[in-house]
Amino acid sequence: MHAQAFPAFGVERRGAPVQAFVRFDNKKIRLRSQVYEPDYVIVQDSTLVKDVNVFHGMKEGGIAIVNTEKAISSPVPEGVRVITIDATSIALKHIGLPITNTALMGAFAAASGEIGFTALEDAVKRRFKGDLATKNIAAAKAAYNSVKGVA
Amino acid sequence: MAIGTGCTARPGKSRNNKTGSWRVFRPEFINEKCTSCGMCRIICPEGCIGENEEGLPVPDYDYCKGCGLCAEECPSEAIEMKKEEK
Repeated sequence: MHAQAFPAFGVERRGAPVQAFVRFDNKKIRLRSQVYEPDYVIVQDSTLVKDVNVFHGMKEGGIAIVNTEKAISSPVPEGVRVITIDATSIALKHIGLPITNTALMGAFAAASGEIGFTALEDAVKRRFKGDLATKNIAAAKAAYNSVKGVA
Repeated sequence: MAIGTGCTARPGKSRNNKTGSWRVFRPEFINEKCTSCGMCRIICPEGCIGENEEGLPVPDYDYCKGCGLCAEECPSEAIEMKKEEK
């Protein structure tokens, strides 16, 4: 398995919308450009939906995961499935901080099926130690189960 | 990524860039407990807590980022941080 991950910050000012890209493939990835036509989009902050076209470049069959308590009111491109999950509340419940990354990874694993939960668990264990790993896995698991219930 | 209105990426005064949407927790001011000591106004890094004619703090939620310093500092515990729905 080969993977790439890189961010794009645009204007370097606090509060500006930022993006991060991930590519993974079984073959070597020669492409080095920004991702313009994503298969999956994860929106970490729901206020971005109002400000930015977060679904830009998405194709039919794509999945967008949005961290929000509410339903999405803005127009969604045809054939794109939007999954809303309140990752902030999940993170607060399991980690105690509004850091939603691992919860959203759990939601992504469940929604896309591209990565298995055990793989995610291993990755979190490698990144965090002890109690922090347990909390983050709990957050990921809660999000995974909540999305699995929907899908 | 096409950027629309409301993002802080657009040029202009910082006053135009309302940063209130960054909040996760919102400070709620309990006026009955408030002693008008003014600590919250002094500590607020955004300077977004004002004062009404009775001397009670009046926050500007358009710019409050929900850092929670006012609630932490308040000697009479008159400020509570509550999770906000966006």
